[in-house]
Amino acid sequence: MSPKLRIFALALIGATLVACGGSQIKLADPTIPEPLIDKLPLSVAARYPENFSHFVHEEVVIGKEKWSIDLGRANEILFTQLFSSMFTDYRVIPPGTDPQDLAIDAYIEPSIDAFEFSVPSQSQTEEFAVWIRYRIKIFDDEGNQIANWPISAYGKSLTTTFGSDAALRRAAVLAMRDAAALVILQMDKATGISKLSAATLTPDVPARPAATENPTDEKVMQTIATEEPSDDSGI
Amino acid sequence: MIREYDSDYGDALFRRALISVISAAVLGGCVTSRVEGVREATTGIEEGEGVVIMAKSYHLGNETEAKFIACVGDAVGRGSTGLRVVPNNEFVDALFPWFEPRTAPAETKGLPDLMQRPGVPEKIAEKGVRYVIWLDGDTDKVAGGGSMSCAAGPGGGGCFGFAWWQNDSKYQASVWDLSGLEDAGSVSADVSGTSFLPAIVVPIPLIARTQARACKGLADQLKLFIISDENT
Repeated sequence: MSPKLRIFALALIGATLVACGGSQIKLADPTIPEPLIDKLPLSVAARYPENFSHFVHEEVVIGKEKWSIDLGRANEILFTQLFSSMFTDYRVIPPGTDPQDLAIDAYIEPSIDAFEFSVPSQSQTEEFAVWIRYRIKIFDDEGNQIANWPISAYGKSLTTTFGSDAALRRAAVLAMRDAAALVILQMDKATGISKLSAATLTPDVPARPAATENPTDEKVMQTIATEEPSDDSGI
Repeated sequence: MIREYDSDYGDALFRRALISVISAAVLGGCVTSRVEGVREATTGIEEGEGVVIMAKSYHLGNETEAKFIACVGDAVGRGSTGLRVVPNNEFVDALFPWFEPRTAPAETKGLPDLMQRPGVPEKIAEKGVRYVIWLDGDTDKVAGGGSMSCAAGPGGGGCFGFAWWQNDSKYQASVWDLSGLEDAGSVSADVSGTSFLPAIVVPIPLIARTQARACKGLADQLKLFIISDENT
């Protein structure tokens, strides 16, 4: 084999390997704008799961390419910004800290239930779409769970506008903004977290009279929320 | 019969190609366009006031292309009658989270409640936005046909055949007046055009730019609609 032919063959193999390698996308730390809302007068603490500071989703599109999306610290940043804007006092507690030792009104445990996406070759459109399902558990100051709220967020971006990688990245950011908007709009309605405010509790109305006496009533307080996009505007 | 290649044959081929191109160009120019406006209220715009151009939410099934929104924004802001156009991402960020795809008001009856939100009227005033223009619609390929084959060999290559396709661009712009919290009316553009791709050795695309035509038609009409104070 002549040297020129060998170089050409190597280049061809290299190009093929690159083409089959798929896409690896890393999300830059996203920020959400400062929301135009009134803060709830609550002292709240939250603990993030480990994958909030490093979340990677990998998927092989059957017969096609492999996609890997690294959200990095995006979730941690998103929820810290979001809850800091929603509550008068908000702090993130490290693992090992017992929230009941803190003078707080509520304790929140957010988590990711699922992350999904679709690429144009799957949807037969020019769209990249991302779905993220979060779950927010809320506990009162005595450690009783008062809400278990699943939220589904969605983001969509056209490939022609931003190119493939950028479009998927944009769809993920839009899904996270969607989650933030949904939490702002629906959280109090769906979970009743504002009722945990020490300021709104009066001595003759015990914080949780039924929860300790009748366990079945606690189930009534649990929120199993669903999302109906058409009802979410609240406007 | 095998004809030998000579200059006469080359000239004949060129003439035939030229005739095909001219014919196709004439046909390719057949783009039909209809732009209409429906006025619900008196409009007008003062110094310092502007517009923001938004896509209706994809949560409502809208698929307006981002490049079309950018095109209308550019066209509305251009020319001697150009309006001040506030970039929509800047507006959406400033009003976060009230103009996100999930939360944006779907009808003008949601505007009074929106204006009650803390900081919202102040931010809208700060941005100087008088009108929100909501774009809806998209461009679709509705028909197509023909065939074309291409071949290449050691002596060269070429394509022969003829292909065509028809695109429809249907868009509607709803104009909301934030000063009166009312629907000022709407402008719609419906553009249909057929593109041709004749090929005699070299393919010559004759594209009917329906989306670009819809963008220009809609933007020109929107400027007239907003500046005009007629109440028809």
